[in-house]
Order: sequence, then structure tokens, then C-alpha cells
Amino acid sequence: MRIAGFHILRVGLAITFLWIGILILKSPESWGGYLKPWAAGLLPIPLSQAMIGTAILDIIIGFLLLIDFWGWIAALLGAIHLIIVLLVSGITDITVRDIGLLAALLAIMIDSLPQDVINKIKFLKK
Amino acid sequence: MTSLALIFTLAAIGISETSYLIRKRITFEKPVCPLGEECLKVLTSQYSRIFIIPNDLLGFLSYLVISFIAAFLVIGVEPVKFWTIALKILVAIASLVSVFFTYLQWKVIRAWCFWCLMSALTIWLMEIIILINF
Repeated sequence: MRIAGFHILRVGLAITFLWIGILILKSPESWGGYLKPWAAGLLPIPLSQAMIGTAILDIIIGFLLLIDFWGWIAALLGAIHLIIVLLVSGITDITVRDIGLLAALLAIMIDSLPQDVINKIKFLKK
Repeated sequence: MTSLALIFTLAAIGISETSYLIRKRITFEKPVCPLGEECLKVLTSQYSRIFIIPNDLLGFLSYLVISFIAAFLVIGVEPVKFWTIALKILVAIASLVSVFFTYLQWKVIRAWCFWCLMSALTIWLMEIIILINF
């Protein structure tokens, strides 16, 4: 990936995650409304607490992406998080854009994998 | 809400940019200069520190505080009035400091640094948003 394009994508995703985290902290209950009832029923803690945890995770992912530190781990966490979001919310008019975010995170993760991790993956393939 | 979102976004861009400069300084690497090759002349000049604190670190902390205040205002953390005044004062001071640093590049160092100009522009945009909306 071209270096400028990579950084624009990284910072853009970081801002998205940070801002979503803040919006969830503002009104965790209303964001919890996106969860399907079966998923909300599986939670061992109150919905609002789970959403606050989600917001904190979003902010951590966003901050790591922003400062380009452990970028591939942040992108991997973000991708896993978005897969879970798509599973527990379903693909709606709103969550459909998460598919694009998921693809962007995977691109960031692949592009920022450290060499030793790439070597380990190559070793496992053999 | 929209103005706070814009201020937060600009602060995040500032965090990203200053953290890049901090990393380059710590690892003794030359930063990329998209416009010309004079970044290093500015970034290594005697004006690159205020007392012992490097300007990039000072900028990073300022952007971090601004983003926190913007987030507090969105979430509604009390006392809202205090955070609003703090945001106005901080961005105003940062804008003036940016004017000073831009003057230094123009008249004293006689070299332009892309990252410094971008940071100044970021802060001035925040100030314009505050002047228009608050």
C-alpha cells in the first residue's frame, strides 16, 4: 500500500473509533439498543456496563491506531470487534458500513504486520 | 456537537502528527518532508524546545488535552462551563504560540517545516471554529 494512503486510512479509522467510543460513553443505553435481544440476553453484566466497556475498547483501539503504536494489534482487535458487532446487531442500514470499516482494518492489519510475525506465519505454513 | 466533532477530529490529527515527530526524534530518524527538505533545519533549530521541553511533546500534550476537553463536553462531564472556558483559553494560547512559531520559520530560521505549518493550520482551524460557534 502506498505510504501516504496507509496513514490517511489509519488516522481516519482511528478518529472513527475514538468518536464512536465517545458517543457510546455519552449514551450507552441507546447504543445498547442495537444489540439483538438474544445477544443482550447472553451478557453476564448489565447492558450499559457492557456498552461502556465497548466504548473504552473503541477508544483504546482508536488511540493505538492514531499514534501508530501496535497498529496491527489494534487493527486486529478492531476487526474482531466489528465482526462481533455485525454478529450481534445483524446487517442493518447502519451496521452495513461496518463492512467497509472491517475491510479497511484488515488492510491496515496486513500492511502493518511486523516482520517476525510474518516469518512465524510463513514457518507455520511449511 | 458538530463543532466539537470538528475540534476533536483536528485534535486527533494533531496527536497523530506530533506522535510521528516524537517517534522520529527519539529514533534519530529523518522525518518525511512532503514540501521541500527544510523540515530538519526547523526541527533541529534552537527554537525546537521551550526551555527543556521539545515542541513536539508540548504539541502532543496540548492536542491530547484539547481532545479530552472536547470529549468531556460531548459526554456532558460537569462542570461544562469550566471545560468550555478551558477549551477557549487553551486553543487561543496554542494559536498565538503557532503564530510565533510561524513567524520564527519565516523571519528567523528562514526555512519552512511542513509538519509545523500543518500543526499551526490545525490549531488555527480550531480557533476559527471556536470563534464562530462558541
